[in-house]
Amino acid sequence: MNLFKKDAHAQKSQADLLYEAQQRKQLQFRIKVAMSWIGLLAFLLFLFSGLEIKSSMGKTTVSAWSFHMIVENGRDVRARTEKILFSWPYGLPNQGLDITTIVVDRAFINKNIDFIASGILQTIQISLYAILLATALALLAALGRLSTNPLIYSLSTFYVSLIRGTPLYLQIFFFFLALPQLGIILTGLWAGVLALGLNYGAYMSEIFRAGLSSVGKGQREAALALGMTPTQTMRRIVLPQALRFAIPPTGNEFIAMTKDSALVSATGFVHELMWRATKVGRAEFRNLEALIMAAIFYWIMTLVLTSMQSRLEASLSKGER
Amino acid sequence: MPIVKVTCLDKYFGRLHVLKGLSLEVEQREVVCIIGRSGSGKSTLLRCINFLEEPSAGVIEVDGIKIQGGEKGQQRRHLIHDIRLKTGMVFQEFNLFPHMSVLGNVIEGPVTVKGMDHARAVELGEMNLDRVGMFFKKDEYPNRLSGGQKQRVAIARALTMEPRVMLFDEPTSALDPELIGEVLNVMKKLAQEGTTMLVVTHEMGFAREVADRVLVMADGELIEDAKPSDLFSSPKDPRTKALIDRYRTGEQ
Repeated sequence: MNLFKKDAHAQKSQADLLYEAQQRKQLQFRIKVAMSWIGLLAFLLFLFSGLEIKSSMGKTTVSAWSFHMIVENGRDVRARTEKILFSWPYGLPNQGLDITTIVVDRAFINKNIDFIASGILQTIQISLYAILLATALALLAALGRLSTNPLIYSLSTFYVSLIRGTPLYLQIFFFFLALPQLGIILTGLWAGVLALGLNYGAYMSEIFRAGLSSVGKGQREAALALGMTPTQTMRRIVLPQALRFAIPPTGNEFIAMTKDSALVSATGFVHELMWRATKVGRAEFRNLEALIMAAIFYWIMTLVLTSMQSRLEASLSKGER
Repeated sequence: MPIVKVTCLDKYFGRLHVLKGLSLEVEQREVVCIIGRSGSGKSTLLRCINFLEEPSAGVIEVDGIKIQGGEKGQQRRHLIHDIRLKTGMVFQEFNLFPHMSVLGNVIEGPVTVKGMDHARAVELGEMNLDRVGMFFKKDEYPNRLSGGQKQRVAIARALTMEPRVMLFDEPTSALDPELIGEVLNVMKKLAQEGTTMLVVTHEMGFAREVADRVLVMADGELIEDAKPSDLFSSPKDPRTKALIDRYRTGEQ
């Protein structure tokens, strides 16, 4: 009896040990990944820090470069100035070492960060309208694609083919610049929303088609056998399951769309992130700083949206199936 | 008057003649089992009765509603709907709605199709879940149930529509052997309660014990129609004999 108990205990702890070792390995891996990320970020920050490290015979200095307004020939000019942070009377022999990094104009960033940041709202607004339009179109196109009516099927495939066969950039300009020639004048915003919505609708129709096909024939038959009409079957049984299937990839498309919305800035009348960044960047020839700011905002937006989406995905997969 | 009356039913899949002028009747409170080898047309016959398959020719009559096979029209669609309300179908693959709870599955029909008041549908649904012994799982989702439990819920779902006849399409064929018993027990109970049942099955034991009549199908035809005691002791057709012999050897 005693022996048996001991044996059972030993067996269990061995499995546990294996499991624990695996867990530990995974945790270590994740910690290393996190540290590497921090390292890469730190490197990127250093790259744009404006620091300079010089070391030669008898002298090592670390200095910080920045832009300052100085008076030169009686005019205010923005010029790089050096400030020595640290100095040491010894240094490396021979050629020595000179590491310079990129100097960004902090004054420009401080002055324009609010202006660029306020474009986030507009970017989200465009994407939100466009994704709603795209979802509706994608669903219609998917239903059309599965239809046995040749006209409806053709409408759906024609739309998808036409949109996928032309560049999004062209479509935006078409709605903004070409339609006024026909007497249809759209604001930059609505031209952008329409173009993005139509474009993404065509691509997303494939997602919805897969969603609809994922609902088995048996589901339809069970609904029909209960006496449901085809419409009731679609609304109560097929669509809820298809949409649940389609929500995660739709989230991905939305994230992609927030970035593609930058193309709408080309119309020049939608004051979203990209437009604002290029406007201030060009005006003062500070494109580097302006685009970096915009890039950071886009990046943060996608990080937030991605985490929201993965949480949504987790909560959806919990329940059924 | 019979509840189900099938007259000269023909069904073609393309050029394949699946049902060949088949006729049968099911009386009220009768339990009729249909046995036969795979591909003999048993399931197709059942699916023609509630028009999940469109008959190529022949007449289907359920509780006085008569439909001629192979026709079209708006009026006919209403009649098909009426027949579906009078028949409850249980599928081999259960086909529970995965996005609805057990109770949701069961009340879906009455609420959506009959427009029944939600509270009444719940009352009725819970009663039928209790009949199949699944009341305790009413808030669970189908993916959390075993195959046998799923099939019992599917039976309750069909019962809640209060059909005149229950159609079972190989209800235990997709189940693990140890789960077949619980489903057969529920069906046995329904039979004892006087439910009219038409059962396509491979479970000879169930047919012998529960059925009032056993129909044997082969190659799209009914080759035998007899009381189970007669059929199992003295099968007339050699094909029936082969079928029963195989079942006997399988049992040993």
